[in-house]
Amino acid sequence: MNKNYMDKVHTYGRVSCVLSLIFFLCIPLAISLHFNVWPSLSVVGKGLASLIIFFVTGIVEVVAYSPMLGAGGTYLSFVSGNIMNLKMPCAINAMENAKVKANTEEGEVITTIAIAASTITTTIIIAVFVLIFALNPKFSEVMSSDTFAPAFQQVTYTIFGSLAATYFVKHWKISIFPIIAVTILLLFVDPGIGVLIPIGVIFSMVGAHIMFKLKKV
Amino acid sequence: MFTDFKSDSFMFLIVLGVIIFVCAQALFFMKKAWTRGLELGITKDKLKNAVTSSAIFSFAPAIGIAITVITLSVALGYVLPWIRLTVIGAIQYETIAAIGALEAVGMETGLSQPVTDPETFSAIAWVMTLGSILPLILIPIVLKKIQKGVSDVASKNSKWMDVMTAAAFIGLISAFIGRGLAGTGKAEEAIIGDGAGVLSLTALITSIGFMIFFTLINRRLKKNWIEALAMPLSMVLAMIFVVLINSFLPEIAAIEWRY
Repeated sequence: MNKNYMDKVHTYGRVSCVLSLIFFLCIPLAISLHFNVWPSLSVVGKGLASLIIFFVTGIVEVVAYSPMLGAGGTYLSFVSGNIMNLKMPCAINAMENAKVKANTEEGEVITTIAIAASTITTTIIIAVFVLIFALNPKFSEVMSSDTFAPAFQQVTYTIFGSLAATYFVKHWKISIFPIIAVTILLLFVDPGIGVLIPIGVIFSMVGAHIMFKLKKV
Repeated sequence: MFTDFKSDSFMFLIVLGVIIFVCAQALFFMKKAWTRGLELGITKDKLKNAVTSSAIFSFAPAIGIAITVITLSVALGYVLPWIRLTVIGAIQYETIAAIGALEAVGMETGLSQPVTDPETFSAIAWVMTLGSILPLILIPIVLKKIQKGVSDVASKNSKWMDVMTAAAFIGLISAFIGRGLAGTGKAEEAIIGDGAGVLSLTALITSIGFMIFFTLINRRLKKNWIEALAMPLSMVLAMIFVVLINSFLPEIAAIEWRY
């Protein structure tokens, strides 16, 4: 990979992360200043304690997702959020279409462009639909009605079903074990998707490593 | 509706700032990557294809995210959930984070009752923000090291690295496929379709089926637009199937073997 380009990506990314951090912290600060109300530290601390699992999954996500998202993709994704249900599948799909591999410079370029395009589209669509919903409550009722709500509830499965069709067909030998292992695990305990993803990745990588050593892939 | 303090003009000004910030950052990175892509010899068509397919792909999930904003708006108004789901937030976590924050400030009613006190609202905004910013602190510190480690391994044993990268993607996909087959829902909330059952299986099978169908068609016709649209089309068609089954066979659609 071209070190010059990658170094620049990291420099831009670091600056944008710090700017984002400052900007996001200014949001509750602005709310407090605007309403002239300052919540007590104990209330905020109690709230944060209830979200302790997010700190753990936050660390796991950074380590687990960044090699797959590429540098530019990681900096962008962690600012705009919705990584595993939107940005990651979007990046995988774009790499498949462009026929480039992750962890190459071509992969880095394509994932960055895909995640940037997804971020802009998502931001605009959310804005448009929230305004439509807010101005027209009837439309909001229809979209969240018993007829349509289940479709949006299943949207994640349609994303990963489509991805599975391309990925599993191509790599079926290393796909069987993690699907079976994850499904069996779920029959005993469902740890939630945030914990299940790293478990699935570990199952898959261990299985693939063994098959690689046995020269089966 | 917009006279509520949670959705007043000041709050809209904040969300406007967030939208401009996020889009400007994405455009900046896209421009840099685009220029580098052309230098690497990637064709303009391929780069354009990455933009259009990703934009179309994001459409349906983005509407799903907007609906989550509506779910949270009863308690928190439109703007705070809108901000949270535009930056850092994730559809899976945000509802839980909001409930956690509401309980911390003593609102045991959860998301069903509006927050009427600015101090409580401000506390929730602080909790939801501080609870999600850890990755933004970690990434500038560790990402370059992680990427360097991955790059070193890739240069030493590229075949093994290719297999491991594919395995990592497959592990991620397996987690969601597994949940669709055997994930448990929230029995106490009795939400149709949140546990593995007929609807999740329909979504999985139909999206897989449509994707294979479009891939086969593309193999024959070799058209770029089919490749770009295959995944979003498969997703939307699968969602239409879910709506049809839910509408015409509601008893069957409600069957969940893991709830």
